[in-house]
Amino acid sequence: MKKQILRFSDVTLAYHTVREETLAAQHLTFSVDEGEFVAVIGPSGCGKTTLLSLAAGLLTPSSGRITRNGSCGYMLQKDELFPWRTIEKNILLPLEIKHSNTAENREKARALAVKYGLGDFLSAYPSQLSGGMRQRAALIRTLASEPDILLLDEPFSALDYQTRLNVTADVSDIIRREGKTALLITHDISEAVSLADRVLVLTKRPARVAYEHDLDFGDVKNPLKRRESAQFSKWFELLWKELNG
Amino acid sequence: MKNKSEKTYSEEHLRYLRARRYHAIVVWTLRIGLLALLLGMWELITALGWVDPFLTSSPSRIFATLKSLYNDGSLFYHIGTTLWETLAGFAIAVFLGYSVALLLWWSETLRAVLEPYIVVLNALPKIALGPLIIIWFGTGSKAILFMTVLVGIIVAIMHMLSAFIATDKNKLLLMRSMGANKWTILAKLVIPSSLPSFISMLKVNVGMAWIGSIMGEYIVSRAGLGYLIVYGGQVFKLDLVMTATAILCILAAGMYFLVVLLEKLLVKNTDD
Repeated sequence: MKKQILRFSDVTLAYHTVREETLAAQHLTFSVDEGEFVAVIGPSGCGKTTLLSLAAGLLTPSSGRITRNGSCGYMLQKDELFPWRTIEKNILLPLEIKHSNTAENREKARALAVKYGLGDFLSAYPSQLSGGMRQRAALIRTLASEPDILLLDEPFSALDYQTRLNVTADVSDIIRREGKTALLITHDISEAVSLADRVLVLTKRPARVAYEHDLDFGDVKNPLKRRESAQFSKWFELLWKELNG
Repeated sequence: MKNKSEKTYSEEHLRYLRARRYHAIVVWTLRIGLLALLLGMWELITALGWVDPFLTSSPSRIFATLKSLYNDGSLFYHIGTTLWETLAGFAIAVFLGYSVALLLWWSETLRAVLEPYIVVLNALPKIALGPLIIIWFGTGSKAILFMTVLVGIIVAIMHMLSAFIATDKNKLLLMRSMGANKWTILAKLVIPSSLPSFISMLKVNVGMAWIGSIMGEYIVSRAGLGYLIVYGGQVFKLDLVMTATAILCILAAGMYFLVVLLEKLLVKNTDD
């Protein structure tokens, strides 16, 4: 049996404002195994981002338990590169914060950047890079601290369609090659189907897992190839019905 | 990626660059021409006797006043006095204002407690405190310095606090997800991302510092440009009033220019 990296057991979370109390999640149970790419889809406003904040340990559940074996790296909708730092300084940011800013780790992070085509841009500022390259730099920054699980919060939704397809393939390729575990949150069904090994469908608020599917693409990991395959539309239709049914 | 080191330009691009340069030259020529025209008209209508230079002064009389102030050695004494009060007040107001804003950013409770006080202090016309300041600090430079700080500090606090609070929520989330504590967030995100606001606060405070120091000199002083203006007004020496005002214009513009220079040095890479 594979090692579990992340596990939610019967998690409930309530939000408090002066006016009311909102249940964001109730009886939420699922797990992510090592090396797995799990996508979570749900109706809008079902608390998808909340789920990632819980996984990252930024929120504490009202009840239930969350166990995470290892560190996490967060990737957001926008690249959130710091404009006053060079690409290299941006990539080294998690090392500075985690006090693991050793020469060895810096060299590893730099090597990663070079490996994935950012070598020429290390001393450039984010404003000099295209949207796709910026998102790639954001991914390398996330990988620099060698997290055990990547938490991806709709990381492609801010890009235009053409760039999105390319960057999705690009990011997926990097994550697969580095053998990383990933939890992707998205509202885009086709993105989930083209990327994940397993898809969880959430109910509307309070969120819990309504359906769970192992995708049968076999060895086809490339999102662009998956989009061309026969199963793609089958899965798309099924998930569409489950989301809207 | 933008290529900034383009080597060859097309004919069209060269024409565009020439047009831009031509436009800049026209603007500068007109700017200087307008100043020369205004000064020339001023000189002319007083020389022709259309207006009484006793009431309006004139560029040549301002120049003569400047020369006599220089000759009796008081020109740089007055300039120095006001400049010192303004710069010291500016520096103290900026430093204290920035520090208080940091404290208020750090503690939400402190912010809530002090908010009404800051609002009231901001709305209060500082000149109303004139008599108190004279009694507490006497009639020397100290009183003027206090007035300058008072006028500048509230603006500095409010400006910087709103900049600190406006720190990008997603970048904060990112920092926290990396395990950053509040000190690290402050040092690596909040302070660097508020740098453009810091510069705009300096620009606002250049004006505030001059308001403070001149207002202070109106109330208590025995030296300085504000003193020359008040004194000149009282004894009806409009030449003196105009001369001191002209020097003030030049000094204030110079100080603003220094801040702009600082901005060019510090603020290079932003997303917008």
